[in-house]
Amino acid sequence: MFGKGLVKGMQITFKEFWSPKATIQYPEHQNPIPDRYHGRFTLDVDKCIACGMCANACPNKVISLQKQKVGTKQYLTNYVMKIYYCLFCGLCVESCPKDALHFSKVINMNQYHFSDIPLVLVQREAPAVTAESEVAASKTSDKEGE
Amino acid sequence: MENLFVGIADGLRSSLGGLPPELGEAIVMLVKLVAILVFILVNALWLVYMERKVAGYMQARIGPNRVGPKGLLQTTCDIGKLICKEIIIHKDTDKVVFMLAPVLVFVPTLMVFAVIPFGKNMAAIDMNIGLLYLLAIASTSTIIFWMAGWASNNKYSLIGSMRSVAQMVSYELPMVLAILGVIMITGSLNMSDIIAAQEHTWFIFTQPIAFLIFFIASVSECNRAPFDLIEGESELVNGFNTEYGGMAFAMFYLAEYANMLVCCAMVTILFLGGWHAPFGLDFIPSWLWFFIKMYIVMFVIMQLRWTYPRIRVDQLMGFGWKVLVPLSLANIFVTGIGMYIYRAIGW
Repeated sequence: MFGKGLVKGMQITFKEFWSPKATIQYPEHQNPIPDRYHGRFTLDVDKCIACGMCANACPNKVISLQKQKVGTKQYLTNYVMKIYYCLFCGLCVESCPKDALHFSKVINMNQYHFSDIPLVLVQREAPAVTAESEVAASKTSDKEGE
Repeated sequence: MENLFVGIADGLRSSLGGLPPELGEAIVMLVKLVAILVFILVNALWLVYMERKVAGYMQARIGPNRVGPKGLLQTTCDIGKLICKEIIIHKDTDKVVFMLAPVLVFVPTLMVFAVIPFGKNMAAIDMNIGLLYLLAIASTSTIIFWMAGWASNNKYSLIGSMRSVAQMVSYELPMVLAILGVIMITGSLNMSDIIAAQEHTWFIFTQPIAFLIFFIASVSECNRAPFDLIEGESELVNGFNTEYGGMAFAMFYLAEYANMLVCCAMVTILFLGGWHAPFGLDFIPSWLWFFIKMYIVMFVIMQLRWTYPRIRVDQLMGFGWKVLVPLSLANIFVTGIGMYIYRAIGW
């Protein structure tokens, strides 16, 4: 009554005026990101066996991978994620049998051009084939030709 | 430092000595008016920035801090952007009145600043009915808000401007009645005389109730929160300036802050001792004291906005007519009796 509440309110806002600010100046400073955060993907190429289970697990068909047979092993040549369809559910990471696919803590995936948005994790040529594998490769190509 | 601006005016006058005296005086007057114009616009820009900073700080935010050093150029950029925008005039407006309102909105404010003494001998025009002039001119701004709302041909604008007329007219009354107490003590309408009478005691101590009434009424006159019913972003889509865009909107926006400046100057002059230095701190020049006091009042008004919620229309009118007007009348009565007793004692 008689403005007691008004004075109290003014006191609160005046105190708040001098209190430390909660804002974090984003590009310069950043909140700590928890370990389980679903950020940008990383692929440990040496562990990957190009089985394609991640691509199968994906509900949005984000992952496309290309592989070549080098010798007796599958060799991953291309691993691209159409990250604009990704919902970061983590099914691909769970499905990986060799624990090669991981989330990182990178949250900033903005790009200026649309063509830069897809996340290219692997893009490489298959190594030069040895004599045995050349035969194997030619056999497969013959089959495809038929 | 004390006579900086007075010295500049005198120097200008003496350098124009070769010209006929009327012409020289006219040029000095023109320079003064341009200086006031620049002062108002720079202050309005600064106040928009200050408002956003104060708002941010009271909400545990930082406020604008990216454009220019500490974000100081933020408002300048905003105005630049608004200048670039098209002013849309839709087909049902009363076009002449619609465009006239944002042009005229600065006029009362500018005219009022002519009589405000910013420091010792620093009023552009030292008028002997300065206070009357100020009140008369300041109340014409009601018409401009009405023009804007009426010409917009929009129901929100119309409601907003009707509220503005009702509010400004009904709060003018307690405002003037509160000033009456001060005028009774000083016996003058001249602002310099009123300030001179406060050399030993500010009127905030002798007329505390009048100060409160005047302060509340002037916050209401500037349509500031908690009396910002005429804007009412959440209910009236910004009231009278809904249809305005671009620079026309910017004029209303800046005029709001210029009006605040007038109100703060008025509070300073009438109740806070104008340019008198408190505690004998005379080494700070008088005009600086005036600004310091003005900005303290400004800060309080901004704090009010970020503390209290908007009140209802019926509460607003009830408070104005049932509380402030009787209280200010009682204040006049008590002041009269007090003056009579003082005279009887022989002080």
